Amino acid sequence: MTTSTDVRATPAPERQKRRHNPITWVQRGGLTTLLFLLPLLIIFGVFSWSPIVQAVIMSFQKTNLVTPPIFVGWDNFVAVFNDPLFWTAVRNTAYFAFLAILIGYPVPLVVAVLMSEVRRFKGLFSVLAYLPVVILPVVSVLLWKIFYDAGPTGVFNTILGWFHIPPQPWIQDAATAMPSLVLQATWAGAGGTIIIYLAAMTSVAPELYDAAEVDGASLWAKIWHVTLPQLRGILFITFILQIIATAQVFLQPYLFTGGGPANSTTTILLLIYQYAFTNSLGGAYGEATALSLMLAVFLAVLSIVYFRLTARWSDQ
Amino acid sequence: MTTTVPAQEVQVTEPLPDSGVPGKRPRRRPRAAEAEDRHILSAADWRRPRVRITTNVLHVILLILLVLVGLFPLLWLFKSGITPTQDTLTNPLALFPNGVAWDNVAKAWNDVHIGDFFFNTIAMAAGEWAVQLIVATTAGFALSVLRPKYGRYLAGLVLATLFVPAVVLLVPLYLTILHPPLIGHSLINTFWAVWLPAGASAFNVLLVMRFFDSLPREIFEAARTDGAGTFRLFWSIVLPMSKPILGVVSVFAINAAWADFLWPNLVLADIHIQPLSVRLPQIQSSTDLGVYLAALSIATLIPVVIFLIFQRTFLRGGGLGGAVKG
Amino acid sequence: MKSVKPRRLGSKVVALGLVTAASVAMLSACSSDNGGSSDGKVNLVVAPVLPGATEDALTTLATRVKEFEKKNPDIHVKAIEYQWTASTFAAELAGGTLPDVFNVPFTDSKTLANNGQLADITTPFKQTSTADKWNKTVLNVATGDNGKVYGIPWGPYAMALSYNRDIFKQAGLDPDKPPTTLDEIQADAKTISEKVPGVAGYMQMTKDSTGGWNLATATQALGGRLETTGSDGKVTVKTDNDQTKQALSWLQKMRWQDNSMGSNFLWDWSGINQGFASGKIAMYMSGSDVVGSLMQANGFDQSKYGVTTFPVDSSNSKAGILSGGNVDVVNVKDTPEQIAAAVKWIDFYRTQPQVNESDAVTLAKSNQAGKQAVNAPTLPLFDKATWQQYQTWIKPYANIPADNLKPFNDGIFSQTIVPEPPAHTQDLYAALDAVVQAVLTDKNADVDTLLKGVDTKVQALIDADAKK
Repeated sequence: MTTSTDVRATPAPERQKRRHNPITWVQRGGLTTLLFLLPLLIIFGVFSWSPIVQAVIMSFQKTNLVTPPIFVGWDNFVAVFNDPLFWTAVRNTAYFAFLAILIGYPVPLVVAVLMSEVRRFKGLFSVLAYLPVVILPVVSVLLWKIFYDAGPTGVFNTILGWFHIPPQPWIQDAATAMPSLVLQATWAGAGGTIIIYLAAMTSVAPELYDAAEVDGASLWAKIWHVTLPQLRGILFITFILQIIATAQVFLQPYLFTGGGPANSTTTILLLIYQYAFTNSLGGAYGEATALSLMLAVFLAVLSIVYFRLTARWSDQ
Repeated sequence: MTTTVPAQEVQVTEPLPDSGVPGKRPRRRPRAAEAEDRHILSAADWRRPRVRITTNVLHVILLILLVLVGLFPLLWLFKSGITPTQDTLTNPLALFPNGVAWDNVAKAWNDVHIGDFFFNTIAMAAGEWAVQLIVATTAGFALSVLRPKYGRYLAGLVLATLFVPAVVLLVPLYLTILHPPLIGHSLINTFWAVWLPAGASAFNVLLVMRFFDSLPREIFEAARTDGAGTFRLFWSIVLPMSKPILGVVSVFAINAAWADFLWPNLVLADIHIQPLSVRLPQIQSSTDLGVYLAALSIATLIPVVIFLIFQRTFLRGGGLGGAVKG
Repeated sequence: MKSVKPRRLGSKVVALGLVTAASVAMLSACSSDNGGSSDGKVNLVVAPVLPGATEDALTTLATRVKEFEKKNPDIHVKAIEYQWTASTFAAELAGGTLPDVFNVPFTDSKTLANNGQLADITTPFKQTSTADKWNKTVLNVATGDNGKVYGIPWGPYAMALSYNRDIFKQAGLDPDKPPTTLDEIQADAKTISEKVPGVAGYMQMTKDSTGGWNLATATQALGGRLETTGSDGKVTVKTDNDQTKQALSWLQKMRWQDNSMGSNFLWDWSGINQGFASGKIAMYMSGSDVVGSLMQANGFDQSKYGVTTFPVDSSNSKAGILSGGNVDVVNVKDTPEQIAAAVKWIDFYRTQPQVNESDAVTLAKSNQAGKQAVNAPTLPLFDKATWQQYQTWIKPYANIPADNLKPFNDGIFSQTIVPEPPAHTQDLYAALDAVVQAVLTDKNADVDTLLKGVDTKVQALIDADAKK
């Protein structure tokens, strides 16, 4: 990044002459600047900053949309903690994140390492890997919902039948529902991560590999001691990004199972949605915002701790 | 969205070394090619038959897996879109045992009106793209080039929203759309409800800011001394120089708009303006399976074709988008 | 910013003002088309069909709208596809995006009326020709506690057992002799799953609060109650009662012993209709009038449709069948002219065909032409005599074979109608969804614990109300 000279570095005498009155301000272009900032101020003000503040306020209120909201203190937070479904949702979300990391974190790395060595047709590999990402997420889920039909003539069950494996319940059984969701989510998202890793790998300086070979490093050693450490930065970042994203998973539970069977795929986001938008005749907006704030705080703390830890590891 | 994705420098491949023979264009000699492309395996490694064979075998396996995993579902979708429903239900992996049902596609187009919802999706994406571009460029210009005194605080406020997960905004934003300030009535069931909030993307603003920061100040000074006003500076100098970053922001914006589900599902209850992502799940239960698959196929075909044509752009900028989605 | 030339103030301020004004104007201008009067006509937006209605249904609707506008040249009607959902209703009301006329289920109309969220239509209602003929119980669901009328009921139905006559024949069962007890349903389901592979013999809804709704039906059919009201008016939730457990055990047996319920268990209302229409489910618990929707949204071939009463335990005096229905209501924000016009529309579209022969015949003809259900089984709005008279009027145009409907139409009048659980009904149903899903997907589901959990949860909601 080129460093830029600070345009505001005015010489001292002119500074002292400056008076704070509206006319000079406008003459110096203050109004123009404000004009340019108008879209940002309006859009962020109305659709970002104000709602954030509102969220905090609403979490301490009881709102229906007819009468003015009532201040209820910590009641909403207490209600959320006392809701058994909350603990289920936390467990489910953690489970989803865990599975997603388990399947979705190493696989793109392995594939990227393999793909980086491809001499010819690299484009073909990249296109194939990225293809699932291009499909509309909604379409992807709907397609996989059809794949997951639990009857013996469902697509996946038919394939399993070729290998004499009995038909699986997929999303129809609490034990297999969450893994099924994670499988589809990984399929849909891995391609993007693969491309990122590939790009990062091209920035590894060849001299490092040369140096390693001079030291007599084997293939494995090269990967372990050169590739991975060089990728460390991006690996750390994609890890936390993946956790933050999976903590907010909504699409899969909503479209695949609606939170079932028996609440086994109800995630925190789905619960927030249910609090706000599926309670009969007017939602529990206070509890919804309370829960969303709790999630936000948790993710913020997690990120801070994570960056502290990884900073220490990077230094070692 | 909470992202702190590092800016990816565009990879510039090193120029080929001169072949040393005058008048002869350097060919892609294997040695030089390996020096460029080599990652882990060195030229020496490649010469060892064991390594070469193993790697090639692994690559073939990987290719087969990628085809099965990445391509097969799509191919199945397209095939089933033109297969009679009964065949798909009873024998999903057979290849047209009873002929082709082209009328699935016709019905998807005429009865399900896929075309209309496609248009809605495009309209939605176009509006979001425009709003995001306007906000990001004007704000980036003001904060990075014009540099008002309060600029730092404003940028800080914008950065702060990066750390707030979108879920926090869900309910209050919904209520804001119901009762927007100044305007007398709700924006529900209008595209504005989707366009306007999309502009509040801190990521875009920061991207553009950083890019503008990297532009040489001398150009601005020169333009100023030439008598260019601020607007001229913005429109005729800065914007044309920003094409690369505008491209990146556009890819993100359109990607995000295309894929968005939760928010449009919430605010666009009126069927006539619903995009594909909202409409398709709703009609699943009232649409014949074959027709439904044809509709899904149409909804998939166009982005796939666009992707295949514009591969490079996607694979450079879109990779980051993939990570953002998680 | 050290610009050299002094700027012209005026142009900047003007620009700023213009931009702001233009934006506000642009956004204000796109108001949703919401009635009021223009050029002397009253505009109504009505919502009589569900999203995803077939082309035929929409054509039929358009014809009816034209008829109405001819009779009432001062009213302009725009008909839209619309699905009312309890969850977004409050927001839509606040946001002003509700149609002028829409329909809500029986379970919610009274609550909405009492909350002041529906228009009071008492005056124009009293001017309709049928105002005094109403069955008091039926009209009660649309009446507020203050005695005023807030809606016009239509299409009352009872829960029933729908079945696919074709699949019955394939399984060697007589479609004219459908099962009459829970045990017979179980037996028939078993036969079907054995003889016709890939078909679920019996299924009921499990998702989006319909699971609880179906379970409530089964419970009450056995004589049980999910909620009881004490003499002091306090409502107690007791889902872990014998009849509910019996109903769940019945499902358990069919699922795990007989394996006659297929492999997919997450069904909401529209999903199970589609499952039935596509021949994946042979029998299911449904509203008695669902064939209308099956034809409207799923294009189902009605000659295959059969319906009978859902078995009620005749030995138990408390046993009865759950009923439901729809109420057409008017947007509380409408003007008096719109409300009067709306009542005229509702009366024309829903009520007149029930009492006026020529209207009944017109409606039947247009339904028939549009391949919509002419004679879907419903309950009497007024009295049995009127209902029977109506049946004779539409008989020549009936497009569902009367024999297919006979088991239901014959049996329904000997069943007692029992009301749904009174307090936090939808919340109760939503909580029971998980129980039904658990029973169907987990062989070792601990029904007692699950039901007790529902009791605690819903009781807390009811008690919280009492505190307010």
